Amino acid sequence: MTSMKYSTDLNIQVDNLVDVHGLKGFVHESKQRVALEASGIRQARQKFKRTCPQYPPRQTHLQFSLTKMIVRKVCMRQSRQLLALSRRAPISSRFQSTLTETPVETLQTPPTESITESIKPENPLTEMVQAQSAADTAQDSALDTRRSKFHKLGTKVKTAYHPEDVLRNPPKPSQVTLELLLASGTHMGHSTSRWNPQNSRYIFGIREGVHMISLDQTAAYLRRAAKVVEEVAARGGLILFAGTRDGQKRAVVKAAELAKGYHIFERWIPGSLTNGQQILGHCETRVVNALDQELPDFKQDLADRPSLKPDLVVCLNPLENAVLLHECGVNNVPTIGIIDTDADPTRVTYPIPSNDDSLRATHLIAGVLGRAGEAGQLRRMKMAEAGQTTYKPITAAELRLDPFTGLNLSDLAKK
Amino acid sequence: MGKINLTALRVRQTALGQFASGKTSKLPQWVDVIGEIPPAEALIRTRPPQHQLVQQRMKTVAGSSKPQVVFQVQEKRRAPKKASRLFQPVELKYEEDQLRTEFFRDHPWELARPRLLLETTGKDFEHYDWSRIQQPGKRLDGESVVQRQLWLLNNVPEMTKTNAYDIARREFYRLRLKEDVERRVAVEEAEAYGAEFGPSYLDIGMKLEDVQYNKWVEWARQSAQVQDQRQAALAGAPELADEKATTEPTAETDEAEATQ
Repeated sequence: MTSMKYSTDLNIQVDNLVDVHGLKGFVHESKQRVALEASGIRQARQKFKRTCPQYPPRQTHLQFSLTKMIVRKVCMRQSRQLLALSRRAPISSRFQSTLTETPVETLQTPPTESITESIKPENPLTEMVQAQSAADTAQDSALDTRRSKFHKLGTKVKTAYHPEDVLRNPPKPSQVTLELLLASGTHMGHSTSRWNPQNSRYIFGIREGVHMISLDQTAAYLRRAAKVVEEVAARGGLILFAGTRDGQKRAVVKAAELAKGYHIFERWIPGSLTNGQQILGHCETRVVNALDQELPDFKQDLADRPSLKPDLVVCLNPLENAVLLHECGVNNVPTIGIIDTDADPTRVTYPIPSNDDSLRATHLIAGVLGRAGEAGQLRRMKMAEAGQTTYKPITAAELRLDPFTGLNLSDLAKK
Repeated sequence: MGKINLTALRVRQTALGQFASGKTSKLPQWVDVIGEIPPAEALIRTRPPQHQLVQQRMKTVAGSSKPQVVFQVQEKRRAPKKASRLFQPVELKYEEDQLRTEFFRDHPWELARPRLLLETTGKDFEHYDWSRIQQPGKRLDGESVVQRQLWLLNNVPEMTKTNAYDIARREFYRLRLKEDVERRVAVEEAEAYGAEFGPSYLDIGMKLEDVQYNKWVEWARQSAQVQDQRQAALAGAPELADEKATTEPTAETDEAEATQ
């Protein structure tokens, strides 16, 4: 509390200073800029609607969501533990892992003051209360302006290391350099006694009893994996990012958000692939067209379908997720994994030799793969707008089920 | 058990086989992706890089007046490796390792100083020039001495290790001394402008020591008193001992008055 008080005092002082120097009007400018940007986005949206009103719904592909599993686990098995936990601050809905779609950025218009002014209540008490609330909001906005001014002051340290940078703005695969990998600590392996000799290809040497992973190998394998992610995303494949270690949550979610994929940051429930009907049967499935717009007409045709399987699984910690990788092998799903010197490289289809114990390293790799997925999705959407697909779209007849027999219409026609 | 599981590496072959045999009606989207970007050979062992310790020196070679750069490679072991050790990684060795151990053996408290290990881009080395010991954006520490010594060894003709060590060390000591002087001057300036830094560590230590001494004086007085009483009781005058115990302060003051 004391520190907060101190900071507000500081803000006030700084505000006075700024006003003395005549730096007012900054906030107004920035507000105008925001409004301009908002109007630009709206125009672009309208234009998009005009140019492609309705994509032919015959060309469809399936999307599914590997959702609710984690919440189910929380509800059924850990309710007692949950009760014992202290309440946390509200978390963004993206981190609840129940979300079925990627959150669409919505423009929030600030509450305009004209509405409050136009209402004329008769009751003097309510009038007083409203006046009080208006004063409060005015105070808040004044505080915000002071705060923004305060944060604009001072020098900017350009060379400072910000740990959030790799999460907020991950590099593209083309921006990965050996220096970046070195600074992220991807070269640190494990003690020589814990090595898996199958990794000897990726090991550069021994330093102080620790295996050093070759940086150029890491870069090469990372680019290869990024290419795979990009191509799978461009073909509309379902990509699942899994990182279940402490602290990997945000990186996994960010990567999934960029690649329009799915994510797991808690435990992989064994059987989610091999016994999907039981574990994921209740999850929402939807049919979308090539522009990722949902087609609700096909809702009833999805009733008795087996749960969908990912087309690519990216695993940030294969050591803990042996079950996930085994199920991927059983279901013939290609996998990408970060392989440290003590991990088995044959567990995954595309290994990325790197340090999996450093969060900075795993954040970097997840971010790079996310960016690759983003590029692939962008390519796919561009092609879809031009009316092309990189994959063979399924027809409506293939998807429709006979309402009486529950069999596929196209299969029946073949017979 | 013990066998290598190639399931993950052969997903494409499996998918093609399943499609050919009619187990799946459709090929997955990723089949051609994996066909274009095949997984790397994971299990082929290659000879790991054989690192050697390389030393760079400037020497005047016989027959030329100018000093030339000479590279010396550490001699290889005569006996070849055992076959089982053929694919094992090799120890990484650099020339500065030895310089580093030497410096920190002589200056162990340099290790106690805080040190920055993080880098943003990994390109900090591009801004360093070890022809001088001070570097922009880098705090002066033991590593500076090591790098400076290495630069001297690599670039100055006819430089010996001890000579380079002495030069680098002298520069280091002088800069450290300068830092100390700067710090002291800054403190004096601040004090001249009215800053108060509170008691120093020495003052705090003296205060704590004083507290302990006072405690000891108290304890010594009490134990002396107890001893006196015991002696008096043994001497056969218990009433005197009792009286002395009860009227201790008055007796003392009486005595003091008597002496005066």
